[in-house]
Amino acid sequence: MPITGRRRNKVKGVQFTIMVVGASGTGRTTFVNTLCESDVLNHKAIQPPEAAHQEEGIRIKPVTVELEEDGIRISLTVVDTPGFGDSIDNEFAFQEIMNYIERQYDDILAEQSRIKRNPRFKDNRVHALLYFIPPSGHALREMDIELMRRLSPCVNVIPVIGKADSLTPKELKAFKKRIVEDIEHYDIPIYNFPYDVEEDDEDTIQDNMDLRSLLPFAVVGSEEEVEIEGEPVRARIYPWGVVEVDNPHHSDFVRLRGAILGSHLGDLKTLTEDVLYETYRTEKLSRAVNSDNRDSQLLPEDLANQSVRLKEEQLRREEEKLREIELKMQREINEKRQQLMAKEAALRNLESRITAQGSNTSY
Amino acid sequence: MSALTTSPPTDGIGIANLPNQRHKIVAKRGAHFTIMVVGESGLGKTTLINTLFSTELSPAKNYSRRHVKQMDKLTEVEIIKAELEEKQFKVKLTVIDTPGFGDYVNNRDSWLPIVEFIDDQHEAYMRQEQQPQRNEKTDLRVHACLYFIRPTGHTLKPLDIEVMKRLGTRVNLIPVVAKADTLTQNDLFVFKQRVREVIAAQGIRIYTPPLDDDENAEHAQMLIDAIPFSIIGSTEDVRTPDGRVVKGREYIWGVAEVENENHCDFKKLRSLLIRTHMLDLISTTEESHYENYRQQQMETRKFGEPKVKKLDNPKFKEEEEALRKKFTEQVKSEEARFRQWEQHLIAERDRLNKDLEQAHSAIKTLEAELDNLQVGYGRGTGRR
Repeated sequence: MPITGRRRNKVKGVQFTIMVVGASGTGRTTFVNTLCESDVLNHKAIQPPEAAHQEEGIRIKPVTVELEEDGIRISLTVVDTPGFGDSIDNEFAFQEIMNYIERQYDDILAEQSRIKRNPRFKDNRVHALLYFIPPSGHALREMDIELMRRLSPCVNVIPVIGKADSLTPKELKAFKKRIVEDIEHYDIPIYNFPYDVEEDDEDTIQDNMDLRSLLPFAVVGSEEEVEIEGEPVRARIYPWGVVEVDNPHHSDFVRLRGAILGSHLGDLKTLTEDVLYETYRTEKLSRAVNSDNRDSQLLPEDLANQSVRLKEEQLRREEEKLREIELKMQREINEKRQQLMAKEAALRNLESRITAQGSNTSY
Repeated sequence: MSALTTSPPTDGIGIANLPNQRHKIVAKRGAHFTIMVVGESGLGKTTLINTLFSTELSPAKNYSRRHVKQMDKLTEVEIIKAELEEKQFKVKLTVIDTPGFGDYVNNRDSWLPIVEFIDDQHEAYMRQEQQPQRNEKTDLRVHACLYFIRPTGHTLKPLDIEVMKRLGTRVNLIPVVAKADTLTQNDLFVFKQRVREVIAAQGIRIYTPPLDDDENAEHAQMLIDAIPFSIIGSTEDVRTPDGRVVKGREYIWGVAEVENENHCDFKKLRSLLIRTHMLDLISTTEESHYENYRQQQMETRKFGEPKVKKLDNPKFKEEEEALRKKFTEQVKSEEARFRQWEQHLIAERDRLNKDLEQAHSAIKTLEAELDNLQVGYGRGTGRR
C-alpha cells in the first residue's frame, strides 16, 4: 500500500479530505456514518411542516474524525453539503461548491507565496468528491451531468449510486452501464482508477481494472445492526429480506471504502496535489496576467452586472484615451506658445536694434 | 347483468328497479377515465401505470436516443390512449404522462405546462358545451392525478409543495410514495406521517374518498388512513422463496411483492382508482372541479369570448424587464456623461486652436512689419 510519508504521519495520522455531494435522501449522511462507523454527521433536521416550503439553500460543513484502516491512522475530514439539489432552482448551489474547493486552493497558494510560512497551516484541499446519484434506474440527469462536468477539472470525482438496494441486480447492471456510457459521451473526466500498462505491476493493474469496472459504486448504508448467525451485522431489514451493508454481493460499500481509505488514498492525494492543484495554480497565475473573464455560469443579475461592468471599463478606457489627447494638446499648445514667445522676443530684439540703429542713422 | 324483474303491483310500482336500469346503461356505454401521473423521472410512473392496468400501456423507455435529444428544459405532456375490457365492460382509458418534470437544474415554473393542460381540458369541454351542436363531445378532463413523491425518508421538497398546491385546486390529487421498497417499515411509517403533516400544514387539497356512505365507510376510512399510498410497481412474474409466483421485484435478499399488503399499498390504490371509487373520481371532477373552473371563467369573461392566453413565466419576464431597464439606464447615463465631457474637450480644443490661430496671425503681422521695416531700412539706407 503506498504510504505517503514521513514517520510523523504514523503518530499524527494521514490527513485526507473527502466531500460528499448529493440531493437529500440519496443516502449521503448514512453513508458517511457507515464509513466512519460512528455518528459523524447528523441527519437532516426536519423542519416543521409549516416551513417545509422554504428553500434552505446549501450549507458546506467540514467535520474531522480519527479513523484507523489497516493499521494506518487517518485523520479524515468529511465535508458535507446538505441542501444541494433541494431548491427549485439549484444553479446557485453549484457555484457554492466550486467556490469552496477553489478557496482551499487559493489558501494554499497564498500560504506558499508567503515569505514567512505558518508551520501549522492546515491543508484543506479536497482529495476526493463522492457524488451520489439517485437510484432512478434510467440514466444521468442534467443535474448529475452538470455537476460532474463542472467539478471534475478541479477535484477527483467518484460517482456513487446511493440507496442501491432499490434496484434489482438486473436493473443495477443496466443502470451502471448507461451511466458509464453517459460519462463517456459527455467526456467527463471522473477519477477512474488510472493505471499504466507499461509501468505498473500485474496486481496493481488488475486491482485498478476491477475497481474501474465497479464504477459507479452501488452503496447501501446502515447505522443499525442486526444479528445474523450470532454475529452483529450492519444491515437494513425489509419485510421480504435483509440487506447486508458489508456483503459484497449486496453492495459495493466495502470495495469503495477499501479503495478511498486504503489502496488509493495516496493516489488520490497525489493527483490532487500534483495535478489538479498545479493546473489550478497555473491557470490562476496566468489569468492574473491576462485578465481574462472566467468561464463560469452566472445568474442573470450577475450577467447584467458583468455587462455593465464591461461597459464601464470600455467607457473608462475611452476616458483615458481622451485624457491623453487632452494632455497631448496641452503640450502642443505649450510648445507653440513657447515658440511664439521666442519669436516675440527675437522680434522685439530686432525691433529694438532697428530702432536703435534707426535713431543712430537718422539725424 | 341482472334481468328486469317484473313484479306484481303489490311490491310497488317499480321505482326500486331504477339502479338496475342504470347498471344496464352504464354497462352498455362503458366508462371513460383519464388519469395523469406527475413526478420526477425514474420514480416508477410508467411501471405503475402498466401494473395498475395489467398491461403494457406505456412502452419501456427508449434510451438509445437520450443523447440525441437536445435538452429543451421543458416539461412535456404525453397522452396515451387505450381501451380496456373486462367481463364485457369497456373502459376508454387515457393516461397523461409528464416527462421532464423536475429533472433539471432549474425547475422554476416547470409545473406550468401541467397546470395549463388541466385548465385547457376544462376550457375545451366548456367551449364544446356552448356550441349549438353538442352531441359529440371529446372529454379529456383529468379525473385523477397521481403525484409521485421521492422516497427520501425526510419530507416533502419545496418543489413538491409548489406543484401539489397548484394541482390540488384543479384536479383530484392523490399523492403516492414511489419506489417504496427503498424504505424500511419504520422509515416508511415516519415518512408517511411527515408527508401528511406537511400536506395539512401547507393547505394542500388532496382527494379523500367520501365517508357519508355507511356501507363503505370502513373501507373508505382505511383508504384515507393509508394516504400517501406506498407503491411498488412491477409487471414481471417472479418466484418467491416459498414457491409462489407473483408480480414483484426480485432482489438477492428476497422478493418484494406488489400485491402483498404488508409490502405496499398497491392494492389500496388500485381499489381507490378502479374498483371502488372510479365513478366518484369522475363525478367530483365533473361536478366540483369543472364547475369551479367554469364559475371562475364566467365571472371574468363574457359568454363565447375566447380565453386570454397567459404569458408564460410572467414573473420572470418582469424581472428581466426591470434588469434590462436598469442596465440601459446606467449605460445611457454613462454615455451621456461621456458625451458631455467629449463636448467639453472639443470646445476646449477649439478655443485653444483659436488662440493658436490668433497667435499665428499675430506672428504673421509682426513678420510682415519686420519685413516692411527691413525693406524700409534697406531702401532707407539706399536712399540716403
